[in-house]
Amino acid sequence: MSPILEIRGLSKQFGGVAALAGVDLAVEEGEILGVVGPNGSGKTTLFNVVTGVHRPNAGSVSFRGRDITGSAPHAISRAGIGYTFQQAMAFAGLSMLENVQIAGEHVRAGANANTPWPTPQALLDFVGLTALADEKAGVLPFGSLRLLGLALALATQPALLLLDEPAAGLNDRETTALVGLVRQLPGHGITVCVIDHDMKLMQMLCRRLAVLDFGSKIADGPTEAVLADPKVLEVYLGGDL
Amino acid sequence: MSEGSTPQGKHPTHSVAPALRSLVPVLVVLTLIALVPLLSPSNRFLSLAISAGINVIALYGLSVLFGQTGILSMGHAALVGVGAYTAAILARDFGVGFWLALPVAALTSAVFAMIVGIPSLRVGGHHFVIMTFAFGQLLAIVLTNGGDYTGAATGLDMVGPVNLFGADMGDLTRYYLMVVAFVAVAAVASWAIINSSYGRTLRAIRENEKLAASLGINVGRHKIGAFVVSGVFAGISGVLLANFLGHISPTQFASFPSIYLALMVMIGGARLITGPLAGGILVAFLPEVLNLDPVQSRIVYGVCLIAVILLLPDGLIAGIAAFVRKVFTAKSKERQRQENGVVSNPSEARR
Amino acid sequence: MRAVDIFIQQILNGLSIASVITLIAVGVTLIFGLTGIINFAHGEFLMIGGIVTWLAVSAGLSFPLAVVLAILAVGLMGYVLERGIFRFTLERPTNGFIVSLGLIVVLQHVVVLFWNPNQKSIPRPLTTVWDVGGVRIASVRVMVILITVAVVALSFRMITTSRYGRALRASVEDRDTAALMGIPVRRYITGVFVLGSALAGLGGALLIALFPITPFIGGTMVMKGFAVALIGGLGNIYGAVAAGLILGIVEGFSAGYGFSQWTDAYSFVLMILVLLFRPHGLFGGTSGPRMAS
Repeated sequence: MSPILEIRGLSKQFGGVAALAGVDLAVEEGEILGVVGPNGSGKTTLFNVVTGVHRPNAGSVSFRGRDITGSAPHAISRAGIGYTFQQAMAFAGLSMLENVQIAGEHVRAGANANTPWPTPQALLDFVGLTALADEKAGVLPFGSLRLLGLALALATQPALLLLDEPAAGLNDRETTALVGLVRQLPGHGITVCVIDHDMKLMQMLCRRLAVLDFGSKIADGPTEAVLADPKVLEVYLGGDL
Repeated sequence: MSEGSTPQGKHPTHSVAPALRSLVPVLVVLTLIALVPLLSPSNRFLSLAISAGINVIALYGLSVLFGQTGILSMGHAALVGVGAYTAAILARDFGVGFWLALPVAALTSAVFAMIVGIPSLRVGGHHFVIMTFAFGQLLAIVLTNGGDYTGAATGLDMVGPVNLFGADMGDLTRYYLMVVAFVAVAAVASWAIINSSYGRTLRAIRENEKLAASLGINVGRHKIGAFVVSGVFAGISGVLLANFLGHISPTQFASFPSIYLALMVMIGGARLITGPLAGGILVAFLPEVLNLDPVQSRIVYGVCLIAVILLLPDGLIAGIAAFVRKVFTAKSKERQRQENGVVSNPSEARR
Repeated sequence: MRAVDIFIQQILNGLSIASVITLIAVGVTLIFGLTGIINFAHGEFLMIGGIVTWLAVSAGLSFPLAVVLAILAVGLMGYVLERGIFRFTLERPTNGFIVSLGLIVVLQHVVVLFWNPNQKSIPRPLTTVWDVGGVRIASVRVMVILITVAVVALSFRMITTSRYGRALRASVEDRDTAALMGIPVRRYITGVFVLGSALAGLGGALLIALFPITPFIGGTMVMKGFAVALIGGLGNIYGAVAAGLILGIVEGFSAGYGFSQWTDAYSFVLMILVLLFRPHGLFGGTSGPRMAS
């Protein structure tokens, strides 16, 4: 089976500094893949290039066999890639329910167009925020804001969900809740790619890991094998983790 | 709504009742305003009210652009001007009457809004507002240098009467009633936009563009769309203005009138359906009520705007509403406290 | 008169007006760079500088003294307005912009209230007209250009070489980091407001030395100031000066060749074109301070 997302030779330079130096990465349908690496290894640049914030200097991104390199952020979302940001955000002045309604209103023949999709209420229910549906998103505590972000991304009917540091700023209880939710997603036909440097979280979530360091992929494989890889150990023991 | 019942993200228009409720105050006020001719008001009052109403129509467009989408335009009066000049030129060169001029002018202003909007929004961010300002100034310069076609600095006379079902609307009272009707239509149209999923999309862009794009919203296209919508309101306002004044000139549509429009919508509150109405009426009648000359009243507007922005950033109406709520809750709390006091301290109650 | 003489003369005229515009542009670009506030009332600051000069000269003071008074008065006004109003809009620069719209209306009409809306003029401080090989050069225009060059050069020196200038540039680059490094950013904001206002005061004094002014001169001037600032790259002082020079030449050119009724349009058209193809201006600028949004 061909991968759902295929990244080939992706390079991105910022004023002569290579944030990504020819990264190859394939996300297989139905898995939860973790992309790890110390700060500055190029994780967020990878995320930004795939989601259309930055245009790559070289290389390609294809989603379900279709080339989406350099597409606009909204087009990426409509193609069926949902994503959440490192900084939890929501439409602060609007109610939670309105937030999720908006997210579901711009779906175009998404990957999961044929499957019945949960209503906004059902999505709020899924992330456990039903009780707060009529509250303005601006008053939410940080942890709930992250969960709302997940609900928003899910409302776009993604076939692939990219999560950029989804647990940053969450306490242990909230992290566990989030992990529980994300693990259910492949069962609903949603492939997940998590980008984070938190090894504990990644071990809980992913059976496969790819490791970035200085813009290059230095390891890719089953979680246990990657964690035993001397190259990875060196990066992480020497790194700031 | 049960899970799985609406697969394609088509959500029933829920909670229509509370949305309708927001329209009621506007319609009540407009009905009262429409009854004013029964009190046989002075011509001066009617003229002032007509100008205010014409402004309010343009302000409803501005409220969609600024209040809902968060885009500040300093070229709105220019769009009104495009409508006014379109009506005047159509009447002069083609004998086109009021009712046909309306849609044509609305369309022309909308197209002009798009011509201004595309490059301005491409530049984006902080520069946008300066771009719209520059386009407004440019329009005034072009109109001034347009020779006989635009009447140059002296402007154009509006020829031809306004008829409605054979009745001449040139009469001040009739024109007044017609403008009130147009204001009502503008208010309802603006209300319909605010409460549609389109309005929700615009608010999403206002709140967070990056997030909106991540949810599949084509931010650029919708912003230009909002600009075009505001142009339609402005164009109609322009036709009414040209027919009311009978004469239009370039300075009426340069950047200072745009500043006054922005000032009105912000004093009233751009996000509320009552805001444009309140702002337009307030700015038109405040000098009358306080007996100020035009210079003094301008100073008062300016001070009002600064005060509103610093003290009541959501506009006057929202500010007053919040104040009333606060007083009300404080009172009810006090009453509660007193009642509690009566119960817990019977000796004092007996005294 | 030969064509080349007219040409040189018009360029000189263009440059003298461009000098005043450059003074505004430097002010608005500095204020924007540090605060993100688009201060449209800056044109009114200029107008008030002109009015103060007019009042002082009418009261019998000499022109140089009037210029100093204008600089001090408008600088003080900038201080009061920053402390009293703009300070409260720093978190939301859009509000600062809206407040400046209110200020335009207030300042204009306060002047009209006290000193009527009519044109005001002062006798030319320098009346000599040099005849250089057939080219007639009004000394007052040369004076305006030279004063501007001197003042702008001085500001440059301050900003590029002094300790304060370095801190200022660091603050423009990244306000939050600068604050973390112990730079009193708030005080710099006040300082920039005062400096920008003082430059506008000087601009007003120079403008009334060239032409009669009305209380409504600010709008066009500030718009041209912003056009120049944007063409040069908002937040970039060098860019503002270079763009001012370009505009001066273009405007002078057009006036010299019979397109004077379009003069006011050039700055806007130029700005729109430049921004379309180089959104950050010809010489690169900032997009305002990074906001914690």
